[in-house]
Amino acid sequence: MLKVKNLHASVEDKAIIKGLNLEVNPGEVHAIMGPNGAGKSTLGYVLSGRDGYEVTDGDMTLNDANLLDMEVEERARAGMFLAFQYPVEIPGVSNMEFMKESVNAMREERGEDPLTAAEFLKKAKAACKQVQLPLDFLKRGVNEGFSGGEKKRNEIMQMILLEPSLCILDESDSGLDIDALQVVADGVNSQRDGKRSFIVVTHYQRLLDYIKPDFVHILADGEIVKSGDASLALEVEKHGYAFLGKKYEEAEA
Amino acid sequence: MSKCIWQDRHGQNPGTVNTGKSEITNMSEQIEQAVELEEALERKYEAGFHSEIEADTFESGLDESVIRRLSEIKGEPEWMLEWRLKAYRSWLEMEEPDWAHVDYPKIDYQSISYYSAPKSMKDKPKSLDEVDPELLRTYEKLGIPLHEQEMLAGVAVDAVFDSVSVVTTFREKLEEAGVIFCPISEAVHKYPELVKKYMGSVVPRTDNYFAALNSAVFTDGSFVYIPKGVRCPMELSTYFRINEQNTGQFERTLIVADEGSHVSYLEGCTAPQRDENQLHAAVVELVAMDDAKIKYSTVQNWYPGDENGKGGIYNFVTKRGICHTNAKISWTQVETGSAVTWKYPSCVLKGDNSVGEFYSVALTRGRQQADTGTKMIHLGKNTRSTIISKGISAGKSNNAYRGLVKMGPKADGARNFTECDSLLIGDTCGAHTFPYIESRNPSAIVEHEATTSKVSDEQLFLCKQRGLDTEKAVSMIVNGFCKEVFKELPMEFAVEAGKLLEISLEGSVG
Amino acid sequence: MSQWLNQVIEQAKQVDDYLTPVRQQALKTLQTEGWPSQRSEAWRFTPLTPVTNREVQTAAADQAGEAPEVAGLNAIDVVFANGQLVTDLDNISWPEGVTVTSLAEAGQHSDDVAAVFGQVKPQRHLFGLVNDAVCQQGIYIDIADGAQVTMPIRIVNLATQDTDAHTRVLVRLGKDARATVIEHGTGDAQSMTTAFAEYDIAASAHLEHYRFAMFTGSACHVGGSHFKLGDHAELNSTLVGYGSQLSRVDVDIHHAGEFADAKMNAIYLLAEGELFDLHSTIEHAVPNGTTEENARGIIGDRARAVFNGRIHIHRDAQKTLAELNNRNLLLSRRALINTKPELEIYADDVKCAHGATVAEIDEGALYYLLTRGVPRSRALIMLNFGFIRELVNLMPNEALREWLLPVLSERFAKMEVR
Repeated sequence: MLKVKNLHASVEDKAIIKGLNLEVNPGEVHAIMGPNGAGKSTLGYVLSGRDGYEVTDGDMTLNDANLLDMEVEERARAGMFLAFQYPVEIPGVSNMEFMKESVNAMREERGEDPLTAAEFLKKAKAACKQVQLPLDFLKRGVNEGFSGGEKKRNEIMQMILLEPSLCILDESDSGLDIDALQVVADGVNSQRDGKRSFIVVTHYQRLLDYIKPDFVHILADGEIVKSGDASLALEVEKHGYAFLGKKYEEAEA
Repeated sequence: MSKCIWQDRHGQNPGTVNTGKSEITNMSEQIEQAVELEEALERKYEAGFHSEIEADTFESGLDESVIRRLSEIKGEPEWMLEWRLKAYRSWLEMEEPDWAHVDYPKIDYQSISYYSAPKSMKDKPKSLDEVDPELLRTYEKLGIPLHEQEMLAGVAVDAVFDSVSVVTTFREKLEEAGVIFCPISEAVHKYPELVKKYMGSVVPRTDNYFAALNSAVFTDGSFVYIPKGVRCPMELSTYFRINEQNTGQFERTLIVADEGSHVSYLEGCTAPQRDENQLHAAVVELVAMDDAKIKYSTVQNWYPGDENGKGGIYNFVTKRGICHTNAKISWTQVETGSAVTWKYPSCVLKGDNSVGEFYSVALTRGRQQADTGTKMIHLGKNTRSTIISKGISAGKSNNAYRGLVKMGPKADGARNFTECDSLLIGDTCGAHTFPYIESRNPSAIVEHEATTSKVSDEQLFLCKQRGLDTEKAVSMIVNGFCKEVFKELPMEFAVEAGKLLEISLEGSVG
Repeated sequence: MSQWLNQVIEQAKQVDDYLTPVRQQALKTLQTEGWPSQRSEAWRFTPLTPVTNREVQTAAADQAGEAPEVAGLNAIDVVFANGQLVTDLDNISWPEGVTVTSLAEAGQHSDDVAAVFGQVKPQRHLFGLVNDAVCQQGIYIDIADGAQVTMPIRIVNLATQDTDAHTRVLVRLGKDARATVIEHGTGDAQSMTTAFAEYDIAASAHLEHYRFAMFTGSACHVGGSHFKLGDHAELNSTLVGYGSQLSRVDVDIHHAGEFADAKMNAIYLLAEGELFDLHSTIEHAVPNGTTEENARGIIGDRARAVFNGRIHIHRDAQKTLAELNNRNLLLSRRALINTKPELEIYADDVKCAHGATVAEIDEGALYYLLTRGVPRSRALIMLNFGFIRELVNLMPNEALREWLLPVLSERFAKMEVR
């Protein structure tokens, strides 16, 4: 599904991703862990095509389509979903209006008719319910005045509505208490259908207790330095990132 | 209704300095504090002495013959005289501007003497040894020794005394690098092509009333030329001193930084303590060619007048720079002196990717009035400007920021950020903000923020509880308030500026 | 010199009624100050050329005079058509505590009228003075102490014919009273209208206020809403402005009593070639007042917006909280904004802030929408419009909100984003 080969990317001429390789097959869950400053969030931005995140070398394809040729919204319509660590607040644009626009853009891509207002509302209500967001959130501005946990749940709600094929979760656990974490994880797990793939970016192993990964990769200084199965995450939990060398030990301290 | 309007987008109080009613402060304490503040604000002016130096001074009055005489004394070529006369004729047609937030009695331009020079300077001393020792002592007293061996290493000084340049140090060393640093009166003779080409190219003769007056009667000032690709080996500075009574000072500075060159320049100014007002109307022009960088710092400490507003300098100054492609001009000013300040160092960002900066601390006390700020004119693509202005008002003074940010239709992707903070010390002063913003480009971004606050009772209490007296406490708080600007000054001068602020605040704790 | 002003002055000399003292004063100032030069700060960015040499016109009392429909709004309408009061005030059953008088027939209320006329905002610009000097059409609304008037009163100003018209609204809101007043102006006929309103809001009274300055095309309009707030009074005001050849509105709030609270929001949405000028002055003359002002504008192709927001904190106005924010979006490189937020502060124990921005869309917000697959053009429109919808959402009156959103949305849809 997603193939990333020798990816190099920089921000304001500073190299952040330095030769990253990653292959994600349908239905797989990959966890990407790493110390602060390793380039974890950058990876999500680069994959999704944010302005200012420049790919300087390498290839990335989604279902064999070259991502580098595609705009942000085209990548989204091709099935990529990025759940943000810090979703932006957009007062004045309602969640409902936003999601309706978005869902219909996806449908158009698939050659489906747009949803009517009633159809959309039904779906949206169900999605809200699933992540335990009150329905009046649909009427409010996008993320406007939402708590940290509500924003994260709103991200998962959007994921459910948009039915992407590849979901990138950027630190979706940060700032959540156990109950909220459970809700987020349940939302994610409900979307695992054997075909949909996930990249779970996280600093801590905790989230992986709830969302079981097939593979765990350690990202350090813009490269994947170690890969393994779920047990690698437990190892990191136990010993920290010390094995990466002194630099990261300090960064962690 | 909700009173929580202070949760701005950062979730913080907009005031840099927190205000709020303290329960610990009762009435009598407040009064006591107020009295202490008042006392602290009665600052001494240390540069207020007068030097006994015999001078050749023109009779007061202004007409074409005065300009001809002035030009003749300086032995100027015909074109320079013509230039002056044209400026004078335009000036006669112009009106003194009245839009600034300042109030002063009408200036009688006929009661001013337009030229004064120490007699000893008549024979143009060849070296420092020939300069009148009294003149040198004056500068020493001001903390500016002119003997190179005594000077701050790495700083070349042009010392301007009333209407003439007394001496310019380190000239040989600068010449080695190809840098020209000399009095402008000398440049008119030695480098007429450069002067002709650039003088008036940034601030036209008829730019405004005071610039026109200056163009007609300017006496001296500094000229700087940095050749292509040269990084000026030392800081350049000019020290302006008004000494004679009833004279005006009209200096003119022109700095041309050729392609890829760098220069840092500093000016300082003082004047004796007198009961009469004196006029200072200067023009400064900066030209930053492609990829050049000019940093221009000012510590302005003209005599501000006494606490009742008697005496002091009227400071009407036009400063402007033009930036070509990728060039950068940075203005930093610390304004503590003058009875009236009218000054807007500006940048015309003509070239793509050029950068303009303005960092300002303006402190007013007693009856001082300041109306100062900047203009950032964005013409080129991706031009950037930053404006940080800190105004501190104490006593019965008024302190205004006035600025213009203009985004032209071709300034795609241009950006400006402006922050204006005012600090009021006591309740008899005023702090004002008048920012003009004009944009004609949908991709240009302009952001302006302004806040106003006071030194809070809590802050004072905390400092005093830790053993600081009110004066020290206030000076500390004010210094913190100005930090963003001080860090832009060359290091030696940042320390100076901090001290100057402290002295200025003495007796005006607020 | 201005032919128009000369003719207005001649007209003013003929007016003689119970308001003459104020009118005379205004006339005198008009005669001495004359037509403003281009350098005059008040008109620096707003050319008065469409009016300068205008021939004063008087349209016959209009027959039409239909108030624009606002679905779901249950209000009492008072209509001025081309400057003439066409509503029969006697035919309206006014809510308890409300007395409404025509200025032309003030009779026993003459003294009440004179107590407000020109008193809420004594300092006026050119057109305010013109209105003082010549306006004969207007109403005085008196809301008794303690009256709780739930039904909004809407004052409609229509410009449908070539006319010069000057109308005035005076409102006295009694102690502890509560009311909603809507000033609704619309029309695109070539005309020159001035409409000023003065609100004297007594202690602890609450006014909900709207001004829809929806003049377009050749309709030149200069107007203002001026408020004086007593102790603990509350004002919630919303302005919506369109632009025309010349359109200028002044919203001024004077904190005359302590602990008053003013909220003012303004939206301007300027289509191609329009000019709109909003000036607002907030005077904090006494301690403990609060003001929050938000003005947002979208400026279309060849359109020009002027914003001047001034906060003036007087020496005695300690413990004032005042904040002003102005944000603008330009849709074209032939659009123009001149904004000037001003602070003038003479008291030290206050918290004041202002901000102004001119910017394109927040990059982070745009990226967010794009990652969800929303087409770029749609995302820009959503964000642009969201920027003003935020203020519409803050309007307390639901019927007005429901009416205004689609109206603005439609106007916006016709404007080109880049």
